[in-house]
Amino acid sequence: MFWVATGVILIIVLVPLLWMYSTMFKTPEQVYTMGLKGFIAFVPTLENFKYIFSFTTFFLEIRNTFIIAVSSTVLVMAVSIPAAYSFARWNTGAGNLLFVTISSRMFPPALAAIPFFFLFTKTGMIDTHPALILLYLYFNMSFATFLLFGFFREIPKELEDAAMVDGYGRMQILRRIVFPLIGPGVAITAVFCLVFAWNEFFFASLFTRIDARVVSLGMPIWAHGSGTIQWGFMMVVTGLALIPTLVAAWFMQRYIVRGLTFGAVKG
Amino acid sequence: MSVHVGDEAEMGVVQFQKKRTVWETLTSEKYFKWTLLIPLLAVLSVFMLYPLFFCIDESLYESTLTGKTGFVGWENYRAVLHDAAFWLSLRNTFQILLLSLAGELALGIGIALLWNREFRGQNTIRGLCFLPLLASPLAMSLVWNVLLHYDVGLVNQILLAVGIPKIQFFSMALGKYSIALINIWQWFPFSVFVLLAGLKGLPKDAFEAAKVDGASAWYTFRKLTLPMLSPLIMIIVLLRTMWLIRLFDPIYGTLRQAREAETLDYFVFRIAFSYFDIGIGSTLAVISLFLTIIICAILFRYLMLALGAAKR
Repeated sequence: MFWVATGVILIIVLVPLLWMYSTMFKTPEQVYTMGLKGFIAFVPTLENFKYIFSFTTFFLEIRNTFIIAVSSTVLVMAVSIPAAYSFARWNTGAGNLLFVTISSRMFPPALAAIPFFFLFTKTGMIDTHPALILLYLYFNMSFATFLLFGFFREIPKELEDAAMVDGYGRMQILRRIVFPLIGPGVAITAVFCLVFAWNEFFFASLFTRIDARVVSLGMPIWAHGSGTIQWGFMMVVTGLALIPTLVAAWFMQRYIVRGLTFGAVKG
Repeated sequence: MSVHVGDEAEMGVVQFQKKRTVWETLTSEKYFKWTLLIPLLAVLSVFMLYPLFFCIDESLYESTLTGKTGFVGWENYRAVLHDAAFWLSLRNTFQILLLSLAGELALGIGIALLWNREFRGQNTIRGLCFLPLLASPLAMSLVWNVLLHYDVGLVNQILLAVGIPKIQFFSMALGKYSIALINIWQWFPFSVFVLLAGLKGLPKDAFEAAKVDGASAWYTFRKLTLPMLSPLIMIIVLLRTMWLIRLFDPIYGTLRQAREAETLDYFVFRIAFSYFDIGIGSTLAVISLFLTIIICAILFRYLMLALGAAKR
């Protein structure tokens, strides 16, 4: 029974993804084939790939997304790690400041989008990388701080106190003791920030046009473009865009499971 | 407070020096914790305060992309609150929110209970279940758009093969459920993982005592497991609510033409960026903000209550 249930769950989880990857290789006629057989037995074609690679800005989009995601994640880490440490160690601001940080997540994206749309238009920052990087910095910062706060709380104060007795200064303690211990936590948070920045759509659609186009934008084009929907092309973009996130997650897999259990078990 | 050897030395040094460098001040015991916060506070003030004041300001005017055209005071708010489309989008948002949460939690608890044991290949299987979380919501909405397609979709093909008539998943009646379905598919792993971690942390003694006393599985679940998990459940509810109130991507990916299933954020998007009515757009944004804060504050209180109850 257990395996039946697990099997069903796995099927439900995987079928959409498998379908997506199989459609990448289909011609439009094959996509519209009726009947279950059409989904499995077909002759794969690389036509879709050829089209996407030669006639669209796909590679540019990938490059942009990569730059934006990595840069914003690095910035988020630089801001959140010290802040989370401060919150965890000394409860700075007595919980209120922490709540304010988290509540920045509650802001409707539109609330931030409208003013910054104006600001960026006036300063000519639309369709540039820094625009999105800054926005993602703001959006991810609260989440990252919250996560890292949980991880920092794991570290026993005694370790730091012992080091202080030994005469280490604050910065040294940070570097030698705290940093190594939070490795997994930082890894998980970084992965989440990367994934979020990579998959984000709302701000990307508003703030980029041509130069800084992000992969997220390349997808709906095929659904709302001319006449019929080009499933094959759309799935190529979607499927390929998914791969970096999957790779990132695969690397972090060990850390993710361990980290999620860490935080929840103690708290 | 423990006495540190370092402290005394520092104090001794201070007495001999007239001026400490900025760096030393910033890294001194008292101010260090605030120094650490400087980047965060800087970003917060820019990105939180500026949009807030901007939107509140704009919401009091009638304005378009080219600028304000007249002070209207509360007129915008009145117009919005009387707009049927606004209330419709609000209702849709909450319906989808409740549906999605219910599904995610139900599936989450069920699967967490199911997998709360050692089994072969568990790491791989659990890892695989993580995939929906990673996919771009927009991408998966597009995929589901096809899967639930009336003629071509895989789901309808399977239904036909089994003998059930095809379902028009994106009709006016079912649209909300389809979107909830997309949400549930993508996010139930989140509940699973959080609850699974929680289950693993539960003390075994209480459960063993219950088994010795002959309690049925259902009874154990109701009286022991559920209350102990309640803080985690509240956390999931809180986090997902914050996310689901501003649901946007699935709407964009599937029902773009259908006004009936519009959610709040999509409504704001349409008004502000398709019609470029910045005045009303800002009004909506401000209203949306207050709504979110109120709801999250309420949920936060429940969370605190649950935390208190679980500590027993």
